[in-house]
Amino acid sequence: MHISLQVNGTPHRLEVRGAETLAEVLRDRLGLTGTKIGCNAGECGACTVVLDGRAVCACLVPTPRMDGAAVRTIEGVTPAEGLSPLQQALVEHGAFQCGFCTPGVVMSLTALFDRVRLPSEHEIRVALQGNVCRCSGYVRLIEAAKAAALRLAR
Amino acid sequence: MTVIGRAVGQSVRLREAPERVTGRAIYTHDLVLPGMLWGAILRSPHPHAVIRAIDVSPALAMAGVVATLTGEDTADRYLNYGPAFADRYPLARSRVRFVGEEVAAVAAETPALARAAAAAIRVEYEPLPAVFDPAVAVAPGAPQVLHGPKLPWNVAQHTTADWGGVAEGFAAAAHVVEGRFEHGLVAPVCLETNGVVASWDDAAGTMDIWAGTQAPFFARKEVAHLLGVPRERVRLRSVHIGGGFGGKSQSPEPIGICALLARKAGRPVKIVLTRREEFLGGKTDHGKVMHLRSAAAADGTLLARHTDYLVDNGAFTHMGPAYISAVRQRTANLYRVRAAGFDGRLVYTNKVPGGSYRGMGAPQIIWAIETQVDELAERLGKDPLRYRQEIANRPGDVTPQGFRISTCPLVECLEEAGRRIGWEEKRANPKPWRGVGIAAMINPSVGVLYPEGNFANVALTLRADGTFLLGTQAADCGTWQNTVLAQFAAEELDAAVERIDVLHMDTAEAPDDLGSAASRVTFVTGGAAIDAGRRMKAEVAARLAALWAVPAEALEFAGDAVGLPGDNARRLDWPGVAALLGPIRVEGHHVIDLPRADPKTGYGHYAATYGFGAQAAEVEVDPATGHVRVLKVVVVQDMGRVINPAALEGQMHGGIVQGIGMALSEELVLQDGMPVNTSLITYRVPRIFEATEIDCAFIEQPDATGPYGAKAGGEHSINPTVAAIANAVAHATGIRFRRIPITPHRLRDALRRKEARRLDLQPWRRPYNLEVAAVRRLYPAIVFPALKKLGASLQRERPRVTDFDHERPANLAAAIEALNRPGRRAKLIAGGTDLLVGIRQGIYGPDLVVDIAGLAELKGIAVGDDVVRIGAGTTLAEITEDPALHAALPALAEGMELVATQQIRNVATLAGDLCQEKRCWFFRAALPCYKFGGAACPCYAITGDNRHHSVMGAGRCAAPCIADAAPILVALDATVIATDGRRERRIPMERFYRWSGETVLAPGEVMLAVEVPRAGPAQAYEKYAQWRGDFPEASAAVRLRQVGGRLAEARISLGGVAPLPMRPKASEATLLRDGLSDEALRAAAEKVVRGALPLRDNAAKLDMVVAVTERALRRARERLQARPQGEDERGAQE
Ligand code: FES
Ligand code: FES
Repeated sequence: MHISLQVNGTPHRLEVRGAETLAEVLRDRLGLTGTKIGCNAGECGACTVVLDGRAVCACLVPTPRMDGAAVRTIEGVTPAEGLSPLQQALVEHGAFQCGFCTPGVVMSLTALFDRVRLPSEHEIRVALQGNVCRCSGYVRLIEAAKAAALRLAR
Repeated sequence: MTVIGRAVGQSVRLREAPERVTGRAIYTHDLVLPGMLWGAILRSPHPHAVIRAIDVSPALAMAGVVATLTGEDTADRYLNYGPAFADRYPLARSRVRFVGEEVAAVAAETPALARAAAAAIRVEYEPLPAVFDPAVAVAPGAPQVLHGPKLPWNVAQHTTADWGGVAEGFAAAAHVVEGRFEHGLVAPVCLETNGVVASWDDAAGTMDIWAGTQAPFFARKEVAHLLGVPRERVRLRSVHIGGGFGGKSQSPEPIGICALLARKAGRPVKIVLTRREEFLGGKTDHGKVMHLRSAAAADGTLLARHTDYLVDNGAFTHMGPAYISAVRQRTANLYRVRAAGFDGRLVYTNKVPGGSYRGMGAPQIIWAIETQVDELAERLGKDPLRYRQEIANRPGDVTPQGFRISTCPLVECLEEAGRRIGWEEKRANPKPWRGVGIAAMINPSVGVLYPEGNFANVALTLRADGTFLLGTQAADCGTWQNTVLAQFAAEELDAAVERIDVLHMDTAEAPDDLGSAASRVTFVTGGAAIDAGRRMKAEVAARLAALWAVPAEALEFAGDAVGLPGDNARRLDWPGVAALLGPIRVEGHHVIDLPRADPKTGYGHYAATYGFGAQAAEVEVDPATGHVRVLKVVVVQDMGRVINPAALEGQMHGGIVQGIGMALSEELVLQDGMPVNTSLITYRVPRIFEATEIDCAFIEQPDATGPYGAKAGGEHSINPTVAAIANAVAHATGIRFRRIPITPHRLRDALRRKEARRLDLQPWRRPYNLEVAAVRRLYPAIVFPALKKLGASLQRERPRVTDFDHERPANLAAAIEALNRPGRRAKLIAGGTDLLVGIRQGIYGPDLVVDIAGLAELKGIAVGDDVVRIGAGTTLAEITEDPALHAALPALAEGMELVATQQIRNVATLAGDLCQEKRCWFFRAALPCYKFGGAACPCYAITGDNRHHSVMGAGRCAAPCIADAAPILVALDATVIATDGRRERRIPMERFYRWSGETVLAPGEVMLAVEVPRAGPAQAYEKYAQWRGDFPEASAAVRLRQVGGRLAEARISLGGVAPLPMRPKASEATLLRDGLSDEALRAAAEKVVRGALPLRDNAAKLDMVVAVTERALRRARERLQARPQGEDERGAQE
């Protein structure tokens, strides 16, 4: 099936299979490997992308549905040079180790910050509850997210 | 002279942070090589069977399949060939010994094709009796798995020792404590599953491998051995690694398989394990049963400790012997003990082989020891913390195993941990259901594990641009160790740390190193990095001295430059040095070489030094549900010297939160040797709501043996966490657990045994229970085996699909047409969170999915005066975010906030929540159960692990109703509106289900909307699940309605406890009769379990459902009472 979709503002025309997920298309067809697959079942959040302003698991999005849609991925929220304020805060706080969860975390928080100006710690936890991180113990992730929220609200 | 403190001791940021936070870092999963194929592995479905025949021709016949591989292709070569314990081929030959064992592999043009081709391979098995319990495996007559040299069947290794006179110690004891402690399998759960890319160059005869491995050294050795080529022909390449924790140590099987496949296919091949495969074949921590006895004199002196332990090796030996020795170390060396003895057996079973996981068994043996230290303190009438300080190891001690303790601030660690948790106050004046606990640890820094000693080598190159490249074969799996190595080199050179680039893993660029395991990199490879820095200085100084005609010793390396002090003409920055001298390469070496420990008993001082530490935990227990919340963990760690505080703190945080998982929730659940909870929902790793406050402190007493005085640190964080939490739980509840994890179910069961009052179940109230109880009694011996046999031949096959058509109809009529299209197996898809996962699990097998996600006819929330109408396709997020809906139906709006995760709520729909298939883990594992395979098949929940199953109303299937919206909509008296395209049908919510996950909707019918009458805000939903967002263990929805100041209606509905959303009529009647006093609410709540018939593991659900019902009733009552006068009229109008 033919679809045209926008990824980070760039239009793509693709022939996709019914069972092909957005995560597979981003990674295997478009080479956007910043979106990770940790479970392929909607349970880990490593594949989180932003669709219509909302964080969703790309491993559970059927690509044929993406015809005419626009999606933002980690590649789209990263400035050409340097880091976004959110990314900067994550780095400064040492909020990750292996980094496999990190693009998904960035996208979950991006969706949150777009909707809520200065989220509470509880709202941050709710937004990140779908993002499993096995390395960091989450403590500095929360600190970094709070710092980034403050910075963005200013 | 080097100024200490320039790089060492600084919180230098993670080197790789910018790549990782932007998604630019390339992990193995992300690699694509030109011409690359995809590999897939076919795994054994049997725990033990003879392979009669393998026929790969159906796979090879598929277009796009390039090569297959079976045991026949692998020559007569074992995996893990170094150690004497090698017992496993890379692919099974003639016999399989565990579910998930690799049987064959395929390389094909696409991943989907590779998976389909692997599934097409025909294997003829002849099942054999299997054994899963290590205690049974060593009993006479057990099925025979394997055995070690000169050992009885199923024993892989047996070691015993008696150091210092154990019998005498026990004979002289004033106090003896004794206990049996056990735990099952836990898994490392790296977020990146194991993956590998292999590329064979036929002309050169060389193999390049990119793989998430902690130990390129071992992987290379293994691959060379399997390919039958010299080691030098195999190159491991550098990649980012998404977590290790032991799960990627040694050489995971896929690396060998992928290498063989790539050579055979003549093209590069990539294999990435699925999450399920990772649990099935990725190796776990070992399970064990420990029988521990400790003896103390009247003054508390520990006279002796004896440990008997059976370690579950699984079907093959990988890390079992190392595990045996890691456990042994703690039994004889943590705290001063005069004598220690042990009897440790490593036992084969038909389960996934044990590998290694952070701590290597230490967290659990420390839990057992620390439980007994607490018990002894109690007997002695001593404070547990003070008692620990009395018996703590001290500098200069020699332990019964022969460890010579040098630096050891254990007493201080305990003191500081106690101070930071508020020990004195919290032990003296405990709050109800709160508790604090403390535990200590010992870890070698680091041990001599290999015949060659524990050695490390690095290469350090000054490059033409004046930067350095430090090459190491140690693999940084995320631990920041590359950053730490750069700090060492920078410190030694007094160069800016940014000047040091690190290339890890690449065996062509770096000399041999044993890799990242046993917390060795900072300590050993760090020593090599320092040595490399020194050699670089010597080389540079010698060359400059010759050019400048000055003595080399006169040159000073300082301030990111080198020169003759006071002579500006003879001073160069590093680019200047590089320009003048050209590139320079040196190698640094370090080895911990001590006399080998006694190979039979392990006696001997085998590490350079030992690290100590203490953790204190504070917990809060919910006695009603058995839930444990960790409020705070304090860690005080003896680090010698802290090289990078930020990196170390990260190791502490990560290990402690993994320890929380190990203590409270993580365990693999197996059915006939097959793991059934192979998802991140059912295997419960901590999520962000489980993360707790962590207070880290480090005690720095530089140790002469370590780099700049440092000790090792990677695994230390997890070692005492389980023990500290378990002791805190004991303080809060008075209960000491003998099995971990301390799940809410187990804690509730233990509390119930202590409670005088019992819930009155009155099972005879449902006459059907008599029949059910009778069948259940016959189940293990007769019904289950008979149905298993019958089901094997009569089982209904479900089609497994790897692809399907996808249609997006423009409107509802078109959707219904597509759904009913003759000759197709069509399914609706909206959020897809159940359908797509179910297809991958083999639950659903559509050939057409009809996408209704965008259909306007199914969308929208209309809050009317009397009725709220919610379109079936409304997402849960939309429900939670609608203010009008919150006001009208608070129970529904609040309830939906507790479903799954934000990502799921953003797409999952109300209809999807209601219609999702059952979540029984046997069903989801595609076991041929009654519901999966048809009426001839058994229910696995009767005899299997049934903690999450129904406690009432279950017959042939015990799967509970887990749709959160179901009980809410029943309590709210909602109506489902459905259409088949011709006519609309209104179905009262109470009659919507036939069974868990099965509705009364006809195959061609579509749910349009749900209508909910407005009956005032006196409604509530309460749910218990171990992690926020999980499916309910128990939930209760309540709606109360008053007319003229009198309670006119009370509707209660329960979720998670029965196959249907139950209405406890007796409870409702109680309320109507007795009103809403506290006593009446309690009585009504207790009556919800009338007629229940719990299974073996789920009695806790009875307490949980009573608790949530009472909470929901209280909240609804609050809301009723909070309403302004006269507001109950709306309800009266209906
Ligand atoms: S990969 Fe999509 S949620 Fe885990
Ligand atoms: S940093 Fe490794 S999973 Fe989060």
